Amino acid sequence: MQNFGSNNDLDEKGNVMTEQPKIKVKFEPKPKQSSCPICTVEYYQQFFDIEQRDVYMRIRCSLLSWKPEFYQCVGKNPDLWGPLWISTTIIFILFAGGNLSRFLLEENKKHFKYEYNYMYVAVFIVYAMAFIIPIILGIIMKYILKSELGVFDIVCMYGYSLSVYMFVLILCIIPYNEAQWFFLMCGLANSTIFLLVNLWDFMKKNKQTALIAIPIISFNVALILSFKFYFFRLIYAVDD
Amino acid sequence: MDYTNQKNPQNYSQMEDLKTLDLEESVSETIMRDLKMIAYKLKYVLIPKEQEDNGKELRNWDLWGPLIFCLALAMTLSFKADSTTNSSKSDVFAIIFVLIWVGAFVVTLNAQLLGGKVSFFQSVCLLGYCVFPINIEAIIIAFIGSYLPFVVKLIPVIICFAWSAYSSVGFMASLVPPHKKKLAVYPVFLFYLFLSWFSLIV
Repeated sequence: MQNFGSNNDLDEKGNVMTEQPKIKVKFEPKPKQSSCPICTVEYYQQFFDIEQRDVYMRIRCSLLSWKPEFYQCVGKNPDLWGPLWISTTIIFILFAGGNLSRFLLEENKKHFKYEYNYMYVAVFIVYAMAFIIPIILGIIMKYILKSELGVFDIVCMYGYSLSVYMFVLILCIIPYNEAQWFFLMCGLANSTIFLLVNLWDFMKKNKQTALIAIPIISFNVALILSFKFYFFRLIYAVDD
Repeated sequence: MDYTNQKNPQNYSQMEDLKTLDLEESVSETIMRDLKMIAYKLKYVLIPKEQEDNGKELRNWDLWGPLIFCLALAMTLSFKADSTTNSSKSDVFAIIFVLIWVGAFVVTLNAQLLGGKVSFFQSVCLLGYCVFPINIEAIIIAFIGSYLPFVVKLIPVIICFAWSAYSSVGFMASLVPPHKKKLAVYPVFLFYLFLSWFSLIV
């Protein structure tokens, strides 16, 4: 019976070779050449390679801001989970807490009007502080001032520096002027000291690098002023 | 094809068989069938006892259900919003709509970045279906909220928020490795907290 289907050849003695040499074809998918590696999701996966225990330790490092331990916590593994969700939590607290604070002050509760603009302003201010400003500072530090720290290290540090505000802004719901200023000042001190202490090694190199302290301090001050004068402003009824 | 199950499909695959009959039936029949599919999935997602196969039913994701619940929530809240706020109805509608879709997108992206191997739309579908309890609480508060003191209004809000969060947390937590569960679950909690807060204040 002729077997048309198989490739059986005859060897030198005329016997049918039933086993053909098997050619192994190794399929290797070609790596996708992306024109913009920073735009892919895979690039950012390296920044989410942390565990819940790590996040807890990093927030603790930022709250105990006078100890320059942040780099021991972070190591070579800056993350973006912390900055993203800490800033989103702060946006929620500003939106809900800011309106709640005004509501507590309002004498005639039925006439209270909820301010939805708080949402847009909070998103703009907090994400600018958590991402845009550290990216710009990081680029300046890395490419102009020749720092060893990468851009994402700075973004990670800024994100965790905002963690103190999660607690401070909840306390700011209390509608007393002096209390709000006190809590905001504590938050400002904690956040600024955290950033300066951890960048101290970089800043003490020369006069130029020391100048980086000026934008750091001024942006933090601008942040708490915006918190106080927009979200937690106390409007007193004027007696005519 | 089993025509005896045409009127009362017992499971999703039988519903799939019926799709070939689309062109031969009236519009109302098609719509009713789609609504039944949404109701079936809703029951599956929100009542944990139904999930005997560990969430495999969710592979048949659809975005109609999430869209309906999102529109219903946005319309309920914007309907009520006009009388109590400085912003117009359209502002509230836009905020809710964008919040739900962008929120679902970001929460799913977060789970994927943490190493979760899940289809993107499957997760968005689940998060959208779990918005249904928030819908219920928004309707309750919109219609009888003005007659109730604040503390009494909190009760349905907390119950519905807990229900939404509990339904979706099981799925989200199963996507990521054990040491990252809380990192995947916290954004879900924050998402439903945002939506619950909106339904409370409007």
